[in-house]
Amino acid sequence: MSPPRAAGSPIGWARRFVALWRPSLVAYAVLLGAFLIVPAGVVVLRGFDGGAGERSPMLEAVSGQYLGSFWYSIRLSALTAALGSIIGTGVAAVLVDLPEGSRSRQAMVGYSVVAANMGGIPLAFAFLSAFGVQGLVTKLLGTAGFDLIGNGFRITNFGGIALVYMYFQIPLMTLVMIPAFVGLRRQWRDAVSSLGGTRADYVRRVVLPVVTPSYVGGLLLLFANAFAAYATAFALSAGASRLVPVQIRFFLQGDTITGKTNLGYAMAAWMIIVMVAIIVVVRMLAARTEKWQ
Amino acid sequence: MSRRAFRWLVLGAVIVFYAVPMLSMARFAFQRVPVVLLTWDTLFSRWTIEPLVEAVTSREFRRSAFATVRIALLTASVTLFVLMPVLVRARLAGRRLRRVVELSAIIPFVVPAIALVVGVSGIYREWTPWLLRSEYSLVPLYFVTALPFAYRTLDNGLAAIDLRTLLEAAQSLGQRHSGAVVRVILPNMWASVSTTFFLVCTVVLGEFTIASLLLKNTLPLYLAYAQGQDPQGAFGIGLLLTVVSAVFLAVSARVSGRLVGTGVVR
Repeated sequence: MSPPRAAGSPIGWARRFVALWRPSLVAYAVLLGAFLIVPAGVVVLRGFDGGAGERSPMLEAVSGQYLGSFWYSIRLSALTAALGSIIGTGVAAVLVDLPEGSRSRQAMVGYSVVAANMGGIPLAFAFLSAFGVQGLVTKLLGTAGFDLIGNGFRITNFGGIALVYMYFQIPLMTLVMIPAFVGLRRQWRDAVSSLGGTRADYVRRVVLPVVTPSYVGGLLLLFANAFAAYATAFALSAGASRLVPVQIRFFLQGDTITGKTNLGYAMAAWMIIVMVAIIVVVRMLAARTEKWQ
Repeated sequence: MSRRAFRWLVLGAVIVFYAVPMLSMARFAFQRVPVVLLTWDTLFSRWTIEPLVEAVTSREFRRSAFATVRIALLTASVTLFVLMPVLVRARLAGRRLRRVVELSAIIPFVVPAIALVVGVSGIYREWTPWLLRSEYSLVPLYFVTALPFAYRTLDNGLAAIDLRTLLEAAQSLGQRHSGAVVRVILPNMWASVSTTFFLVCTVVLGEFTIASLLLKNTLPLYLAYAQGQDPQGAFGIGLLLTVVSAVFLAVSARVSGRLVGTGVVR
């Protein structure tokens, strides 16, 4: 197809250009439909679809031992999100106080990018070799007279997994908060002091209102981050974890308990519902944050 | 305590927390001294990279490494070929299409990998089992997984250039449409294109959940398997994989000048 040159308003030309690229739009829609939207839809539909005489799988998935799984996942996500967001924000505050070009600031931000993306098997390996029964830190603490294992710490149980998750939660929060802190303008501080305000006034009246939406958004992001995680916990505990995703795996591998046909789908559907709720709030908060940046 | 001291205390504690697990992994991978026998005297003895060398020359490793590289390259190419035209189109076509594309690109966030696999195997195991048998069935799934990051990077790149003017200029100089994108648009947003490429590769290099549940033999799966067979070699490769992803991410962050995150590997 060769475009008639003379028919030349840029808009008309652009329209023809666009028509040529229709195949990619179709490909995009097909990929997204077949490998995301339809599977997610099927998960939700089957989650609601119990067999004859069964309780709705969606209800079954949040009762008994399965409810226990959800609580375990939620507690782990909430704890690591809360601690990670506080520490990560602290690190971000310290980093933005350093001069922008400083080596330590650049190195820390760079490593935060790396660590925030870490996870899965390699991270599990790293923590096993540090805090495992035969770990380096375990040994070091032992030499110093503190028996980590004897005090009930296992890298595979709740506290251990939480510790491992902190490795990506803290830097992720740092990355979320740095732009928020950088967005605080020097002039605002000067304006407060020229109006007779103190440093405390500046923090309370300017910093907190501007930074809070970012903080809450980051907190939720961290929660979602931990909630959806699977590989790290799986690698640490060889599949013995009580986390929801690890439980779902049982159903996927065909260990279906009779009479609970669609329970795996229902648990997955609940995960999607939680994630949707979080992302909707995050998007709303992000819209508010953008005002200041 | 002064503010300054407090500042360095916070930084120091976090640096120790970041460094210790990685150093422990390196020690485990490269020192042939069991932890039990480790004392200050033996700390520097018997360091070797032999376990890593042995592991990377093993047949199983090579097979899964090649498979992973194939999938990574294919996924990155599919992402660029499909997404670039869609985003160009969305930018030219006005607000509605743009909003639809933007919204569609964040859907992957709300579907955790495990839920995606449950749905995918629920459908395709019944109707088209051949589709999941091939290792390339990971490509569309990884395209979807990496979509939010690819979208954000490419769309930022497009936002930074004057798309309409560039296309007009190319056209008035006699370029055809596809030629205009390849010769004019792409070179002008080279940073975001290469960032996207590396980000997608990082995702494929680390993704475990989907590959493991569909029984595809990628590198993270090899690691999980080798942990039992040859822990020292496996930990060495784990460290190597971490370093490679770190380099990819550093390159991405540097060329795009942005803080990047995927967070899909866990």
